[in-house]
Amino acid sequence: MFADSIPVVAASLFWEYRALVLRGLLVDFYIFGLAAVLAVAMGLFACLLRLSSLRILRWCGTFYAELFRNTPEYVLLIWVHFVPPLLLSLIFNAKISFSPYASAVMALGLASSGYFTETFRAGILSIPRGHIEAARSTGMSGALTFRWVILPQAIRKMLPESLNQFISLLKSTTLVSLISVPDLMYQVSMITQEQMRPMPLYSGAAIAYFVIILSLSALVRKFSEGRRAVGRA
Amino acid sequence: MRILQRIIWNSRGEFLEGLLVTAQISLIAIAVAMAVGLMICFIRMYCRPLRCLAILYIEFCRSTPIYVQLMWVNYVWPELFGWPRSFFAAGWVALALQSSGYLAETFRSGIEGVARGQREAALSTGLSPFLTMRWVILPQAVLLMAPSLMNQFLVVVKSSCLVSVIAVPDLMYRGLRLTSIWFEPIEILSFTAFLYVAIVFALSAAIKWYSDRVRSRYA
Repeated sequence: MFADSIPVVAASLFWEYRALVLRGLLVDFYIFGLAAVLAVAMGLFACLLRLSSLRILRWCGTFYAELFRNTPEYVLLIWVHFVPPLLLSLIFNAKISFSPYASAVMALGLASSGYFTETFRAGILSIPRGHIEAARSTGMSGALTFRWVILPQAIRKMLPESLNQFISLLKSTTLVSLISVPDLMYQVSMITQEQMRPMPLYSGAAIAYFVIILSLSALVRKFSEGRRAVGRA
Repeated sequence: MRILQRIIWNSRGEFLEGLLVTAQISLIAIAVAMAVGLMICFIRMYCRPLRCLAILYIEFCRSTPIYVQLMWVNYVWPELFGWPRSFFAAGWVALALQSSGYLAETFRSGIEGVARGQREAALSTGLSPFLTMRWVILPQAVLLMAPSLMNQFLVVVKSSCLVSVIAVPDLMYRGLRLTSIWFEPIEILSFTAFLYVAIVFALSAAIKWYSDRVRSRYA
């Protein structure tokens, strides 16, 4: 008990379980990678819907983005994990359940795709109309214009914002432990139950996340400042 | 439909109480976060010796996930500081901790956004630095940062559902509890999610309306 009050000694408990914690961290990154792919794909899709010339499609895109931007991630996570499998079971008359990994990827991917929709839309809308008209008048088709004129410029514009979105996605992957995906926080809570000493473990987890996310966001900041300097020149 | 009536209408009191707890914890958290954030912002801007500590605090709050902070406050703080003693307190402390870091930066950008000449003019008319801050800079800064302040409140409301994990009886907690009592997750969880979406959407629409109005009037 007394040893716990000395931070260095206390931290050793976190160090003792480094293999488990590290495996948990890898699970976090794994979920993050899959969810990021889903988020970008769905975000791009919904963004194209929002920019479509048909009002009904535009409306669907807006509804999609607003729905997922306004749902708390934890609520969405629980909902995706419990409700759709039951609905599917009712429809197909068979017992269906999602693995925690699948629910985690879907929920986090969908939640952040709402934000990506807006980021992409802002990036695409920032392209001056003249560029599109110029491309079209040289005889490029709509798809070619999108691929070669709009997208390269838009990506440059929305990259810093998207990188920030990825960081918040990484932060929200900590929630997956709540549906028993064995990520870092899950391992930490399991070890805590075994050792009955929450202090070093949760502090260790907080410090680990602090270091990881702070260095990532410092990288992002550096990168986007470099980007801005290049853009101005 | 019968399930809707039987469970959801009949447990409307439960949902309402949950909503009340959610509102309570969010309001307390944002109020504390604003006070602490303003203090940290002043330390960061005007108190040179403590500046490093303030930056460390801000960066820690901003780059640790809210769930990790919640667990940390709930399990570690009582052991370290002997406080907070209840789940409810741990909930609002964690929410306020997260937001105070973001708000400190919001306040700083708001204060720095006020034109330099305003401060110089106020000081040269003989106002003390405190009076300058109180009557010249803050009123203008508040106007600049009002939309970000309100957005931070939205973030607090959204993350407040996590306090159900540490058994604070908020809306999400009631939803999960009713689900385990009745075992009708489709209706109950969907209704809970719907309530959250409706609240957050209404708040964000109101914020957008308000900040558009402010922008068109003062910009």
